[in-house]
Amino acid sequence: MSNGAISNSIRTLRFMNNEMTQKQLAEKIGVTRQTVMAIEANKYSPSLEVAFKIAHVFNLPLEDVFQYQQHE
Amino acid sequence: MTRLAEVKTFLQSISFRELTLSIDLLACAYIGYFYLQRVFYATPEQLASSTWLSALLLQVVIYSIAIMVISYIVLAFVSDNELEQPLDVREKQINLVGYKYTAYILQAGICIAIFQYQAEAQGFGPSIEYNIPFLPLHIMVSAFLLAEVANYSAQLYKGRTGDIYE
Repeated sequence: MSNGAISNSIRTLRFMNNEMTQKQLAEKIGVTRQTVMAIEANKYSPSLEVAFKIAHVFNLPLEDVFQYQQHE
Repeated sequence: MTRLAEVKTFLQSISFRELTLSIDLLACAYIGYFYLQRVFYATPEQLASSTWLSALLLQVVIYSIAIMVISYIVLAFVSDNELEQPLDVREKQINLVGYKYTAYILQAGICIAIFQYQAEAQGFGPSIEYNIPFLPLHIMVSAFLLAEVANYSAQLYKGRTGDIYE
């Protein structure tokens, strides 16, 4: 899997939601804080289930949280 | 960012899982050091004695269990029920990557041990040349310990860098 193909706005969305911490988000979606850190840094692409859970936390559609850019 | 701030950020980023893996790695490295040190400094009579060898293997097993139990008791005291939490999807993937390296080393160790055994039966090879009895057994035990060290190291490295796609 190529790095950087999937980007996200989680960091921005956390700050827009009462400055939610990574730990709080991790607890809401059932993963560790390190996994949230890795997703935010685009080092790890979450599973579909985790991606939907994150979008649900911010009450947004999936494409507003995650963006996919296809490499030429 | 100053050095102190960098250290502080690093310590904050360490997960409980990384801590347990680090302790497992240190315990395993120590057991490996203990085993190899005993073998390297053994007399030819000790190396040829199956009683001495079985006592050494028993010591390795007992020390491994004792270190693991003590470390987990200490970790259970310092954790907020984090030991009981199941692995998430990413951690399971990292776990599998670690086991992949373990499998490679174990396979290589077993193949070398079988080759060594065959060579010994034919009357040549390092065990005959350097007079090391039970060499296939030493190779397998070393491969096992090395595989465990590689497993924990790979998990720590992959967890830290996030580079888990291969």
